[in-house]
Amino acid sequence: MKRPRKQTGMATWLASLMIISMPVLAQTDLDRLTELEAKTTAMAEELAILRAELEAARQEEPESELEALRSEVAVATQTAQRAEKSANEWKNTSAVTHISGYAAAGFTSEKNGTDSFDLVNFNPIFHFQYGDLVMWESELEVRVADNGETEVGLEYSAINIFLNDYVAFVAGKFISPLGNFRQNVHPAWINKLPSAPSGFGHDGAAPSAEVGFQLRGGMTFGEQSRFTYAAYIGNGPKLEGVGGELHGIETGGFAGDKDDEKIIGGRISFLPVPKLELGFSGAFGDAAVVENDGLDLVDDPSRAYTVLGADLMYRWNNFGFLGEYIQQDIADNASSLIPMGGKWESWYLQSAYRFAATKWEGVLRYTDYTSPHPDESQEQWTLGVNYLLTPNSALKVAYEVNDGLAGAETDNNRWLLQVAYGY
Amino acid sequence: MKNRPSHSVLAALAISTIGLGAILVEHPAQAAESSETSQPDPMQFVRGAKAWANNCNRCHRMRDPKELRDDQWRAVLSHMRTRGGLTGQETRDILAFLQGSN
Ligand code: HEC
Repeated sequence: MKRPRKQTGMATWLASLMIISMPVLAQTDLDRLTELEAKTTAMAEELAILRAELEAARQEEPESELEALRSEVAVATQTAQRAEKSANEWKNTSAVTHISGYAAAGFTSEKNGTDSFDLVNFNPIFHFQYGDLVMWESELEVRVADNGETEVGLEYSAINIFLNDYVAFVAGKFISPLGNFRQNVHPAWINKLPSAPSGFGHDGAAPSAEVGFQLRGGMTFGEQSRFTYAAYIGNGPKLEGVGGELHGIETGGFAGDKDDEKIIGGRISFLPVPKLELGFSGAFGDAAVVENDGLDLVDDPSRAYTVLGADLMYRWNNFGFLGEYIQQDIADNASSLIPMGGKWESWYLQSAYRFAATKWEGVLRYTDYTSPHPDESQEQWTLGVNYLLTPNSALKVAYEVNDGLAGAETDNNRWLLQVAYGY
Repeated sequence: MKNRPSHSVLAALAISTIGLGAILVEHPAQAAESSETSQPDPMQFVRGAKAWANNCNRCHRMRDPKELRDDQWRAVLSHMRTRGGLTGQETRDILAFLQGSN
């Protein structure tokens, strides 16, 4: 029995020990737990903050930077678009205004005459274009006269309406489409000599200008061939009598028609190959003497006016050939105050050679002009040398051997110097 | 003088009528303009170069494509089109060549 008592005592002791020690143990764990819990909470909080920061860093900050970048790019794009638009604006406009033209200065030394700087002219050309449909072209001729005054003329001012690919309608004052020299060669930077061939200046054998309507254009056929045409109706020339004779045929282009007679004419040309052009011109109608010795003449009967011409252009290697014949004819009319008509006729042949790989060019031209007035008629040889400074300018020196009525100005040989610029 | 039937009035009318007729029938120049913007024709430059070489030194020395800006060439080419009897198509081709070479 003793043994169970002893066992019971042991158990009781252990139990008491446990009971006594348990609260002690429990107390320590709780502290640590609390501490751990606090730490964990702090860490969780810290983690949450970090997460939030990370999230913010991940989401908000780059997003706003990206946004800023995006708007910067948008502004830059807009600026670039605006800049591109304004840079291209001039290319895409439907209307274009353009100035070109030519100018020349010259010196003439005439045998039995004077040596003088006798040429300063300025011919601005204005182009006003709308789409591919309309172009208005105007050329002024401004020059200093020998008395120092400035003379201004309207060389041409006409609208071109491109009706289709082959027809342009022209209205206004235009260069006479008859012949080649007046319309295609006379600008100083194009003409290879400082002078016009005799009879191809103003009021000679070749008509200068016309006021009226014109249709012109061209078409190609075959591999390389071309046909060009120009047809017009206009007021025609003005006839003047001086001392009982026809003074000349004035063809400067008149915005009025005292004789009320219109002229119809034109030119066609064929280019079997681009290097060769053959042109034929003609104009027909009536004209009347409207001025006699400086006074108006009314109701003088009209008479036939005829222009006939043929021209040729040919290029071969460094050679360039031009040739042209033109005549203006006024019929006789017995009941006119000036009964005698007359024929103004001229032709020239010109050949030019450009020395290979240099800027030098040599030119030779022969002209024979016959006018009803013997002091105007002239046979002329012109030899010239040019220095072709740029494709649009030239320095020209030429010598004219002139054979006219003895004692008349047309009989004097001349040295000519000219500087020409086309712009 | 005033009472005669006027041939010139008839001729003036004829010129204007042919003109008007042509403009009413078609206007390829404008059609080509719009098709140009929508669909560039790769052969245009080549055709233009050829037409330029064949035509632009017929009357005067060849002018350098670099002399002028694109818009200036537009005006000059309209000017040269009527001078030289060029067709509308040739003019557009040469313009494309000059504008691509300046
Ligand atoms: C049928 C003759 C002829 C042909 C062909 C010709 N030109 Fe001209 N060109 C002229 C004449 C004439 C002038 C001077 C215009 C004037 O003074 O009225 C000129 C002037 C010019 C000018 C000066 C600016 C101006 O408009 O006046 C340029 C540039 C020019 N031509 C370029 C060309 C080009 C490019 C071609 C080819 C498409 C060409 N030319 C074909 C006769 C021609």
